[in-house]
Amino acid sequence: MIKKILFLFCLFGLSCTSDDIIRYEKTSFYKIYKDIVVSEPTSTSSKDSMKRQGYDKAWLSRFNQPIIVLSSLNGEKTATLVALGNYKNKLTWVSADGISVSFLNGILIATRGYSQDLMESQQSDLDIIFTQNVKKRSKKYRYINGENQYIELNFNCSLLAKTNTPSVFFNLTIETTKFTEICRAGSVEHTNEYYVLPDTNIVLKSVQWISEANGSIVIYNYYAFQNNL
Amino acid sequence: MLKNLLVKFLTLLISFLLVNINISTAKEKEVFETPKRLNTYGMPGTIDNPSAEAFPEGQLSVSSSIFGGTIRTNLSFQITNSVTLSFRYARIPQQSSRYRGYLWDRSFDFHYLFSKEKSIFPAVAVGLRDFIGTGFNTGEYIVMSKSLGSRINISAGMGWGRLSGKNSYNNIFGLKDRKGINSGEGGTFHYDHFFSGSNAPFFSLSYNASQKLEVIAEMSSDSYDTEVASPKGFKRESDFNLAFKYEIAQGFSLMGMLMHGNAIGLTGVLALNPRNSPYKSGIEPAPMPLLNDETISRTQSSMDSDIYIRTAELLRLDGIVLLSINRNKRFVDVEILNRYYSDVAQMIGRVTRILSKTVPLGVKFFRINIVDYKSGYPISQITVERESLRKFELMFDGPSNLWKNVKIENSPGAINQSLSLSEGPLTWSIYPDVDLALFDPDFPINGSIGWEAKLAYRIRNSTTVNSSVKQPILTALNDIKRGPKPGLPNVRSDFMYYYRDISTKPYISSLTIDHYYKPFRNIYGQINFGYLEMMYAGIRAEAIWKDMQKPYAVGIDIARINKRNTFGDFSILDKSYSTIIGTVYYDLKSNWSAQLDAGKYLAGDYGATFSLSRTFNNGWEIGAYATLTDVKFSTFGEGSFDKGITLKVPMSWFTGKKSLAYSKTVIRPIAGDGGARLHLDDNKFLHRNISKYDGKSFKDNWIRVYR
Repeated sequence: MIKKILFLFCLFGLSCTSDDIIRYEKTSFYKIYKDIVVSEPTSTSSKDSMKRQGYDKAWLSRFNQPIIVLSSLNGEKTATLVALGNYKNKLTWVSADGISVSFLNGILIATRGYSQDLMESQQSDLDIIFTQNVKKRSKKYRYINGENQYIELNFNCSLLAKTNTPSVFFNLTIETTKFTEICRAGSVEHTNEYYVLPDTNIVLKSVQWISEANGSIVIYNYYAFQNNL
Repeated sequence: MLKNLLVKFLTLLISFLLVNINISTAKEKEVFETPKRLNTYGMPGTIDNPSAEAFPEGQLSVSSSIFGGTIRTNLSFQITNSVTLSFRYARIPQQSSRYRGYLWDRSFDFHYLFSKEKSIFPAVAVGLRDFIGTGFNTGEYIVMSKSLGSRINISAGMGWGRLSGKNSYNNIFGLKDRKGINSGEGGTFHYDHFFSGSNAPFFSLSYNASQKLEVIAEMSSDSYDTEVASPKGFKRESDFNLAFKYEIAQGFSLMGMLMHGNAIGLTGVLALNPRNSPYKSGIEPAPMPLLNDETISRTQSSMDSDIYIRTAELLRLDGIVLLSINRNKRFVDVEILNRYYSDVAQMIGRVTRILSKTVPLGVKFFRINIVDYKSGYPISQITVERESLRKFELMFDGPSNLWKNVKIENSPGAINQSLSLSEGPLTWSIYPDVDLALFDPDFPINGSIGWEAKLAYRIRNSTTVNSSVKQPILTALNDIKRGPKPGLPNVRSDFMYYYRDISTKPYISSLTIDHYYKPFRNIYGQINFGYLEMMYAGIRAEAIWKDMQKPYAVGIDIARINKRNTFGDFSILDKSYSTIIGTVYYDLKSNWSAQLDAGKYLAGDYGATFSLSRTFNNGWEIGAYATLTDVKFSTFGEGSFDKGITLKVPMSWFTGKKSLAYSKTVIRPIAGDGGARLHLDDNKFLHRNISKYDGKSFKDNWIRVYR
């Protein structure tokens, strides 16, 4: 009996195939049990394990294409994204490890690569929010649930602008207008912050909410400084 | 005296519940799993008693209870918002039983939430216990439940049958005599006795001490006559049961209980809801963004000049194999192989994104043909307008707007022998293999563990030799005590001889030449020749007609086979059989699919199988089937006719990553010879392989096209 059990263990170790897809499926299958036994299911990817690094002019000058930096709220997880998509003022930025975020006028309109992506959004006053003293606006966020159906959150938002807010970027202190947006949809609420060059639609830095599962991210629009430092 | 007191108490209680002002203000947040709501029967309830509740729609629960010699293992499914069904396998202490003093019994329960709790009105539910089976646990109930604040819930009801064992009195409907059940061979539906005979009240009170902890007391009307009479049972010293339920984690709870003042017990509940994927939209990397014309031109100038090479490289990163690409004026025709994506719309989204980057700007339409890896069939052709893809990418309602510019139809061609479907003709694998056999009273959970080696050789794209060799290393299946059933040719019920003779030796599980053909646009066919399964060898042919735009399909499956030697070697016995079965497949609305098979089965019996499945739009399927043939129930033997529960679980649900892999389980309570068919792998059935690329499959998850 012991020999048989040992043989089985050896067999488990020697399991193999010539087919990459079968290997991928079997490995994923065993990982389900491994995750149950060893730890929680993995909800993070390598994008969350990036180490904090110093961002300075030298670092920025390494890039010969527009970049933005995404960061978790506590600043421990960061990712650098390059612009890959552009269509009718909608910019899509992509990281090397497979997340993308899309903006219109500096406002997040969609994400891809997160566990609960912002699939679509419909937002009022997107083009005038920072220039025409918008106090209230509405937005619909759509997500995909586990059965490939939409979950829709209808937010009512209030905006508060605070002028002359100093913001530090690299060695520069820039006067910005800080817009604080508080949004509520039933029991779900979030607060976004936008640091905008006065009287423009140029968002230099922002804190924007993605979803309940993924929370908020900090976005540094460093491309605004490329070639200008 | 006691009876009168109880009636008065019940009347008072109902009156109180009806006139009580609503003090329950806590609105239930949307929840997916509620493992604390299960009783020991796996149904909505407290401890043993039912309650007028329901689980969240789609909840699948596995629960097991043990107390006083009784074991109940339940598989429960909330089939709609109001209907709960449960299949149970129970061990019951019984003095006269020949299985070490226990009776093993299968049964089904039905629970219908008639009305939900509203302001002053309590929720009302009716239920049938053990309504298909031997009727050993048979009983019916009407129950009302009411919340008193956010912490207290009270239930009161009336039970019949087994639920009227104690404190009973005359039938409130005037149905005095409860008819005995002539269960025959079991497994049939009985209804003559419903709500007849004496009835008895039952009550429950539960208190949520915290979010995780619930304390329960109940007065049960179940007399447990059989269990109490058995030395392996328990003493029923009181009408009351006490318990605490504790939710250890989401979807997992434990209940410790004191049953009838004598027996200490434990219930474990594992609940999950296929609707509630832990990974929501999935954790795959973001797709390629769409570019404006200027950027496309600039990008293409820096790419490989060969459109096939540059497209294939990018598609490979997304796990998609490009087989061919041809430009035809404003169209580009591509053939692709999908071995990863169960969300086919997402796959098409990724293919079109890449094509929009790699093919010249003069191309206005992408025509994508999906080729099946196994059979080589070109199955579906999807045509997407290039500009619409880009225009709607980041727009609200983008997917539904894009859908208007998408065409899905059957691929026009036959199997293309010139395509290279795999890197080499030979594929192999060696992996552990587990074989389970349930519901044998001698060994209720039995099985073997060993290894399985698979070898496949692709002769042509349409022809493959497939083989599987297995060897059980640790097995108890070679010691099954039961013998074959009498009355019919032993086409399936003698399976134990195969396990016995194979024991721990290697055997040929299957060895076939599989040939696929597609003579017309909508017709797909296959011929399998060789050792089809452990018990049979011969030839089988299947053909189906399937229009990708239609929700239905028809098929025919013919087999001429011989019994294999019980040692699993190459020898074949001189026992030949044949089956001719026609099938209609229908995708019903609201995530249901139905299948009707009719014809001649293995034992020469004629009849039909009806299957109904709740399909979730993420690959999960929970269904049931029943086969009725011209074989009498008494001839079929135990169980009366063939029936079962099917469960299909997609792996991508657990991992959040794209995958076509899934596990399918058929829970077949009784193996009989009536209504028997070949036991083939799921991927040997054409409809399943083809329908995953039909119009409905694309439409159902089209919102993922931009994921």
